[in-house]
Parts: sequence; C-alpha cells; structure tokens
Amino acid sequence: MVELFFLENILNLVGFAVGLVIGIISYIGFKNTGSPTLFRLTIAFFSIGVGFMIMWLGQTLDVFVYKTDQPTRWMQTLGIAVQTVGYFFIAFSHTIKSFFPKSNYLRSIGIVPLFLISFISVENIIRSISFILLVYGAIETFMSYFESKRRTVLFVAAGLGALAFGEFLGWYYFVFPQSILNVVSISMKIAGLIMLFVPVTKVPLTKIKFDETLDDA
Amino acid sequence: MSAYRTHMQIIGDILTTARDDLPDERGASITYLIRKANISHGRISKMLGTLVAQGLLEQTNSSGACKYKISNVGREFLQAYNTFNKFADSFGLTI
Repeated sequence: MVELFFLENILNLVGFAVGLVIGIISYIGFKNTGSPTLFRLTIAFFSIGVGFMIMWLGQTLDVFVYKTDQPTRWMQTLGIAVQTVGYFFIAFSHTIKSFFPKSNYLRSIGIVPLFLISFISVENIIRSISFILLVYGAIETFMSYFESKRRTVLFVAAGLGALAFGEFLGWYYFVFPQSILNVVSISMKIAGLIMLFVPVTKVPLTKIKFDETLDDA
Repeated sequence: MSAYRTHMQIIGDILTTARDDLPDERGASITYLIRKANISHGRISKMLGTLVAQGLLEQTNSSGACKYKISNVGREFLQAYNTFNKFADSFGLTI
C-alpha cells in the first residue's frame, strides 16, 4: 500500500512537471509565432499538468492532513477531468472531425461503448473518454511519422500509447482491486510521460529571443 | 498527394525565400516571390502588406518596382518558426 502511494505520488509529480514544461515551451512558441496549434498545445499540456497536480494534492491531503485510507474521490475525479480536457485538445489538434463518423447510425453506435464499458461512476466515464482520446492521438501522431520521418514523433506516439495503455489497465484495477495491475498501470503512465518529454530536449531554447511585438504575426 | 500548406507555412516559405534565395542584394520582386513560394498574386499581395506592417519584411523601391528583403525581426521570427515547427512536428502537428 505504501509503495503504491509513492508510485502514484511519483506519477502525479512527473505528470505535473512534464505538463508544465511542455506547456511553457508551447506558450513561448505561441508568443513568438502566433501559431494556433501551439496555443492548443499550451492549453493541452497546462491542463494535463494541472490535472496531475490536483490528483497529487488530493492524495497528499488524504494521507497527511485528513489521515484517511481512501482517497477523496471527487478530487481524483476532478484531476482526471482536467487531464481529459488536455487529451481532448491534443486529439482536437489532429482534427477531431475524423474521430466522429458522418453517418448518424455509426455516430449512435460510436457513443454506446462509453456507457457499456462503465456506468459505475463519473470517474470511469471520464477515464473512458481519456482512453479514446489518447488512442486517437497516438494513432494520428504515429501516422504523421510517415510524412515527417522525424524520430521524436515515434517517442510522442509511443508516449501517448503508453498513457492510453496505462489508462486501460487502470480500468481492470476497478474489477480486480488487489492485483498488481495498478502498479503496472502507473509505471506505464510514468514511462509515457517521460517519452512525451523527448521533443522538449530537442528545442534549443537559448537561441530563441522572446519578442512580445510578434503577437499578431 | 501533397498536403495543403497552412497560412503560417506560407509565411515561413516567403520569409525563407527572402532570407536565403534573393536574386540580388536589393531584394526580391513580387513575381520572384510568387514563383519561389508558389502562391497566387492576390494572396501574396495581402500577405506582403501584413509582413511589411509587422516589420518582418523591408520594402524598397528599386527602378520603379517594389522589392522585399527580410528584416532583423523577420530573421528572429523565422528562427523561432523553424524551431517550433520542428517541436510541433514532433507531436505530429503543423504550426
């Protein structure tokens, strides 16, 4: 139980740090170029970072302040919801239109699995949405590799894929609470976040001159 | 099939031509930029006006014709554009 607490703590802190750093770099890019894509990435990664921070705060308050065994569900749900907003903006940047089929029949079928998979709690429904958005983002990112042939694209695609797989394993933890699946799920998510950080290491920030007059360029 | 360029990519192409591919030191004419950046006259006229107003390009009159050169601000913008284009590319996106 103690190991699980530390693992979840590490996950939440790594998630916060990665989200914050990528968000800041995207914001610098947006301020320098005025690109709407970088603006969406800014919102996406700040949301992901804040979501992890909320989850960390909820978990830490439970253990050290309220001294309860069970985490406060509403705070965990809020954290996951904020993260899902971030995943939505990543998926949206890959043109969310192709996610929804044009046929009304297919649209209705497309929504059904969200309710079939889990109707237990709001948290599970939000996790379902996160999973779908992450898988969509991972596939689209991987497909773009064939155009750009940039190796960092593979890291981002693998990172989003690992986050999605971690989310998927997280579902099973609700079914088999005592299994090792939660540890594997958290480890997958940490690995995914670290892989998302790879493109940041390629940005030569020292050469970028911050110029506020270029807002509307 | 080649993908459509975004507004930002066309600006990047115009500035790159104005920086790296000038026919002479006085700058590039509209016709030259149209050919190099592969863009229509109507569209490039509006964009050049905006780029000059933003200070990214310098406009000079040479023998009765307008010529365009990249400014220092334009060079900085282009450097940032190239850097963050690669960054967005890593996420499978175009800026």
